[in-house]
Amino acid sequence: MNALACAWRSLVRQPARSGLGIIGVAAVGALLFDMLLLSEGLMISTRSMLDSMPFDIRVTSTDQMPGRGPDIADGPAAAAQIAALASVKAVTTLRREDAYLMRGDGTRAYGSVLGIGFGSGRPWTLVSGTDVVGDNEIVINEFAAQVTGTDIGASLTVRSNCADGATAPPAMEFRVTGIATFVFDALGEAGAGMTDTSLAEACGTPGAIPADFLMVQSTGDATSTAADIDALGLHLQASTNDEAMGQLQQREFTYFRQISTVLTTITISFALLLITVLLTVSVNQRLGEVAALRALGFSQGRVVLDVLWESVLIVGIGGILSLPLGALMAVWLDGILKRMPRIPADLHFFVFQPEAVWIHAALMAVTAFTAAIYPMVIVARLPIATTLRNEVVG
Amino acid sequence: MSDVIVDAANVSRAFEMPAGAVVAVRDVTLSIAQGEHAAISGPSGCGKSTLLHMLGCVDTPSSGTLCFDGSDVSTLDDRARSRLRLRQIGFVFQRFYLLPMLSAAENVELPQAEAGAAKDVRRLRSIELLEYVGLEHRANHRPSQLSGGEMQRVAIARALANRPRLLLADEPTGELDQATSEQVAVLLDRVNADGTALVIVTHDPDLAGRARRVLTMKDGQIEQEVTR
Amino acid sequence: MSLTTVSARVPARVPEGGHPGCCYNPRVAPMHTHRRRGRVAGSVVALSCVVILAGSVVPAQEAQPPSILIARQLAALEGIAVGDEVELTSGEPGSATRRFRVIGTYEPTPNPLQLGVASRGIRMHLTDLLALTRDAATPAGTEHVEGITIALQDPDSTRAFVNDVNARVVGAFALFPGQAAGAGDTFVVLERFHMAIATVTIIAATVFLLALTVMLVDERRATVGVLRLIGFPAHRILVQVLIEGVVLAGAGALFGLALAVASEGLINWFFQWRYDTALIFVHVTPTVALACVAIAVHLGAVATATASWALLRSGGLRLAKR
Repeated sequence: MNALACAWRSLVRQPARSGLGIIGVAAVGALLFDMLLLSEGLMISTRSMLDSMPFDIRVTSTDQMPGRGPDIADGPAAAAQIAALASVKAVTTLRREDAYLMRGDGTRAYGSVLGIGFGSGRPWTLVSGTDVVGDNEIVINEFAAQVTGTDIGASLTVRSNCADGATAPPAMEFRVTGIATFVFDALGEAGAGMTDTSLAEACGTPGAIPADFLMVQSTGDATSTAADIDALGLHLQASTNDEAMGQLQQREFTYFRQISTVLTTITISFALLLITVLLTVSVNQRLGEVAALRALGFSQGRVVLDVLWESVLIVGIGGILSLPLGALMAVWLDGILKRMPRIPADLHFFVFQPEAVWIHAALMAVTAFTAAIYPMVIVARLPIATTLRNEVVG
Repeated sequence: MSDVIVDAANVSRAFEMPAGAVVAVRDVTLSIAQGEHAAISGPSGCGKSTLLHMLGCVDTPSSGTLCFDGSDVSTLDDRARSRLRLRQIGFVFQRFYLLPMLSAAENVELPQAEAGAAKDVRRLRSIELLEYVGLEHRANHRPSQLSGGEMQRVAIARALANRPRLLLADEPTGELDQATSEQVAVLLDRVNADGTALVIVTHDPDLAGRARRVLTMKDGQIEQEVTR
Repeated sequence: MSLTTVSARVPARVPEGGHPGCCYNPRVAPMHTHRRRGRVAGSVVALSCVVILAGSVVPAQEAQPPSILIARQLAALEGIAVGDEVELTSGEPGSATRRFRVIGTYEPTPNPLQLGVASRGIRMHLTDLLALTRDAATPAGTEHVEGITIALQDPDSTRAFVNDVNARVVGAFALFPGQAAGAGDTFVVLERFHMAIATVTIIAATVFLLALTVMLVDERRATVGVLRLIGFPAHRILVQVLIEGVVLAGAGALFGLALAVASEGLINWFFQWRYDTALIFVHVTPTVALACVAIAVHLGAVATATASWALLRSGGLRLAKR
């Protein structure tokens, strides 16, 4: 009977204790797994969303993320200069404003309206109907259609809440030409798209067509195209998807990375403590047996291995159980976090990646070994004769 | 191979205590030969178990020389001493120390597995030994399902698993009633008669009286030695 | 007195001579940073507060320029000291710059979602801001502000006031204080997230406690067996073990609490240093402390009772037998 079999029998011998240990490890392991998913989840999810758009460069007025910094004063003019570059395939200006989408009967939905111009690129995918081609046309998302009870061909009044309008914007009537999905649609939020000139009118500033940012599609090499745009001297900031991700990682996702790191540390410490206590008490309760085995000729390595295997079995079984448990918990926690305002429906905080499983397994293995160190030392340093004597006297 | 299995020459064992060193065994010289049947008796705390532990190579003398099969035990590292105990020495304890999660047969198999015996070989040997101690019908029972006497008989079978030359028993009847003690004593006699040297530490005069050589200890020294 | 925010594009009417302590955060037309001698690295820096730092420190001039406060992080990043004069500009490069004097630094309101982002904010008088950002073609008095914070004499009339403004003022949205905070929902969600994680941690801790209690009770197997054989009734032993479990859980909770209080400063110091923020990361409140002890004691009692009950179902002889 080898050390593994003996360790297994030891666990089975005390089902309540072992079961609780395994459940405890499964719970903390699940949390650990979730924190690993969280640490990279936002990055992976955002990257996937960025890549899903037919643009690989964003041009903004400053190094802030689109929508965060000042507008580009004359979007179409900047777009025209950029479009003239040989390395540029397409340019589209994009402006985003908040607005009420209202029906004549008073039903309304609050959400965001995108105004696009210059190029033919669209940050939305048409589901039904036709795209906007001219003024007073609008495409809306399914949520907006549902809430306002609007269908293709119907009229919809837009009352915008533009950031830099000098006067209260007028309420403007639009014809719904299609239903579309917007990449950055938030759950339960109305979304709409129109031309930049339409949005400027809706904002009450028909003379000015600012843009939050320009979406640029390069002919191939996004980095060199971004450099070309910078070289134009427009005092604008061109950033590729990679650079945008770098900015996000540095500025926007710090909180989640930090909480992920802190909780990973806590959960591992917790698992360590749990297993160490469990094994130490277990070993202390059978010191006599261990001493007897040593007296019978069992080597130090063999009795130490018994303890290590016990740890590996508890952490291993608990760790395996923690994966499906963690997956369920990730869905739950993702649902909670996605209730934050303005979180795109397609964005996920917890994203499965095979690497997370391997890192999880590695961390659990390290935990199993580290947790077993103290009880292993107890067993390894056990004075056989003294223990046998004490056990009889005790 | 010499006739003497274990040879202790002027061995002493002192334990460091907060109040000062306590000498449990003082300058004892003793040899145990092949097939010998010896008993060590004496009052509690006289050092008989400590002497037994030294003879069984689980404890090392503070001074003096202890040789097993002519080799100085103090020159052996822990691994070598473990190997020596595994193959040459059997231990029987007062509290049996059977592994509770294993059946009687598995307990007997355990030292053989550690010694590297093949599965079918050790299984046959376990059955053979359980028959030897009269417990073949209890082979699949866990220790918790056995009586004290039965547990000690299984422990004796386990001690004999690797065919040791020397069997050391520390108060083997200490937790048993008189009738059961008698059964265990008879079994130990039989083990000795079959060629295994036997050293028993006991308070029980009846058990000690069955030995051919009786050593009486007092204050860490052999006060009296009677050979029949 | 309650504060209500009215968000609207209404002409600014701000009395002269206000104090820079008033904070103003509109989104405005693009502005760029200039240093007097060429553009700064990165060339364009965005500020949370409309204006963008124009240049390096300039020599003090005789006429006293308007005063501003700058974010502590911005002062450190750009090496600006109190008393320095800086030039700020708005709009496209080449537009007019104005000189300001830094009269102090301020600690920006910390935001957990902006961890790691150094604040580059500036606080100034609204009149100065309007003067700085006003288009040459726009006559004074037509500028707009993004919001007006209103303190009501009667806090109970907030709802009526908000409804009244929303009904009467075209193009203005009156918001309740919580709504005006903007990120309110975010923090509610984050709190829920933390609560969910705390729940999982408590479940794991419960299992841990139960495992420990099982071991604790198991260690007493023989003692409990002897007590039963002597004639102690089961409930008497149960109460004894229960008290022990509760004391153990309570002591553990108090120790954990003491550890949390002791490490509170250390954790805050580390993360505040790491992210250069005034955000408080750990704060042990009396409510949290009470909840922690209450949960631990109750869990301890339940765990001990469960483990003891299982043990006491065995007979005394069986327990006493080793």
